[in-house]
Amino acid sequence: MEQLLIKIGQNLFLVFGLMALGGAATMVLAKNAVHSVIGFLFAMLSMAGCYLTIGAEFMGVAQLLVYAGGIVVLFLFVVMLVELSKSREKGLFQRQTPFALVLVVAGAVAFVGVFWRTIFGSSAAEALTLSPNLMAQGEKLGNAQMLSRGLFAEYLLPFEILSVILLVALVGAVVLAKTERV
Amino acid sequence: MPFAQSLLGSLTRDLPFLYGPLFLIVAATLMIWPGDVFVGRNNKRVWSYVASLALVAAGVIAMLTEPGAGFSNMFRVDGLTKGFQFLCILAGLITIVLSQPQLNALREQTVEYYALILFSISGMMLLVGATDLVSVYFSLELMALCVYILVAYLRTQERSIEAGLKYFLLGAFSSGILLYGISLLFAAAGGTTTNLAELNEKLATVSSNGNLLVFAGVLMVLVGFAFKVAGVPFHMWSPDAYEGAPTPITAFMSMAPKAAALGAFVRVFGTGFHGIATDWVLPLSFIAGASMVLGNVAALRQQSMKRLLAYSSIAHVGYMLLGVLSSDVQAGAQAIWLYMLTYLVMQSGAFAVIIYLQGKGEGERIDDFRGLAKRQPVLAFAMMVFLLSLAGIPPLLGFFSKFYLFKLAIEQGFVTLTVLALLTSAVAAYYYLNVVASMYFKEPVGEIERKPLSTAFTFVLTVSCALILIGTFFGPKLLDWTAKIVLG
Repeated sequence: MEQLLIKIGQNLFLVFGLMALGGAATMVLAKNAVHSVIGFLFAMLSMAGCYLTIGAEFMGVAQLLVYAGGIVVLFLFVVMLVELSKSREKGLFQRQTPFALVLVVAGAVAFVGVFWRTIFGSSAAEALTLSPNLMAQGEKLGNAQMLSRGLFAEYLLPFEILSVILLVALVGAVVLAKTERV
Repeated sequence: MPFAQSLLGSLTRDLPFLYGPLFLIVAATLMIWPGDVFVGRNNKRVWSYVASLALVAAGVIAMLTEPGAGFSNMFRVDGLTKGFQFLCILAGLITIVLSQPQLNALREQTVEYYALILFSISGMMLLVGATDLVSVYFSLELMALCVYILVAYLRTQERSIEAGLKYFLLGAFSSGILLYGISLLFAAAGGTTTNLAELNEKLATVSSNGNLLVFAGVLMVLVGFAFKVAGVPFHMWSPDAYEGAPTPITAFMSMAPKAAALGAFVRVFGTGFHGIATDWVLPLSFIAGASMVLGNVAALRQQSMKRLLAYSSIAHVGYMLLGVLSSDVQAGAQAIWLYMLTYLVMQSGAFAVIIYLQGKGEGERIDDFRGLAKRQPVLAFAMMVFLLSLAGIPPLLGFFSKFYLFKLAIEQGFVTLTVLALLTSAVAAYYYLNVVASMYFKEPVGEIERKPLSTAFTFVLTVSCALILIGTFFGPKLLDWTAKIVLG
């Protein structure tokens, strides 16, 4: 028992990862929209756990604040404001389910194969790792500082484009949602 | 504060590369606020002039930008960037002109429409210069998000909303695939860089373990791009989105985002994945061949003119992918640029005719073109020129761009694909000529009143028609000029 606990402690990333997958599966499969949102919340919390276990505290906290805090509440609002019972009865996409299942299984097998070969392949001695100097830099500077330098120095251009994307999303929401022609 | 100082230093050094797209973003934002406050409800048309001016100004700024690279090598101004930026701005200007009749008729003139076009074009201008997978992805999203909204712009029409939703869902899905592919490549290259040039070196020397990972990553990036340019089998969204979107936006979608995505396609695969060409040449050849065959064969059966042009644009993308396949990146980019330029001229002319007829409640179906030559001889002649040029019938402009593309493909050793392209071009000639035949040899159904063309509209029609006819005489010299523009 004790050994099992130690084993789990060593593989916390995997545990959180599996929990996130479980949450995501609940979100997709749940019939009730509120259950779906709770599944989503669970997945996001587990993702935050994943970030914490790989030493990215800042990302973990941001994940908690933004997704588990903000976005889930937003989803709950949508669920409560929009009538969702109609779409449940229609049984959309039911004809496609068998094809979709076959594709999903084939895709999963293919990806497991790819990762299996990459990690345990014939010349597994030269394993794929993140660059060592990147890790060292992270330890020296601290997490939040590393992230800020990434955002404002190296990845400044994508960061600024992202802000324009958010502006466009805002404008688009207004354009599509307004009822009165102004 | 050495960090802040170095940041400021690099920003002042790099910012001039972005003046063109930045100008558009700032202009569009100012148009929405505070600009729109000062314009009355019935004067929204004024924004079309402002937006056109902004586009022209941004174009001039972009063309005058000094070549170079900046933003930690995420953006690069060179001949390819400028050439495709020019195409996108031209397409934007044409779209604004083409939008006028429909927006006026439906009383849907708003500032947001023009602002979204400007935002989208700024995204394209960033996309064609992006030299890092991260900046490629973000610019692609900026461009695509604006187009999703524009497709659903006529939100009171059900088919417009349906088209927008379909396009959005499939587009988001393809973005996910693209992003996952990028992350796989990032991991395979050791998790240090997403820069195209560096990635090229790293990917070529990946250990035998990572081969499969690289292959999967490249394949997914390929799928993502194929979705964006609507190559078969990732074309499903395109006919529906084309049919449901407001017609000027259909014209926009078939010109600008395609030009930008193809420009990025050439750059990403030509410079970034050049070293691992064996991984993607075969899948890409399949996509190109399938696009030619399916695009042309499916177009045969269409009754709707917009769907016909949607399928034919799939086929045209198939031809242009021959240029992406070329191992000589510059020659490929050049051939694609020339093809895209002539395609833009022909396509905008054809859409101008459709939009004009649509204003009178027809033009959607091919049957609406019956006997057009008797009712409107000039318009019918212009449409004939556009369609024959699209089909690539010899002396017209469309023939020369096709000729250069196919010549390049043969030189690069893609003989089978080129033969396929030639055969499918013959199929294409059938459905284009079918429209021409129904314009000239069929009796018109009923008498419909004539409506005068607006000045700007006549301008677009005349200029594109004249360009095609005059271009015919300069065809053989075209490639040299293109070389000067795109490579210069």
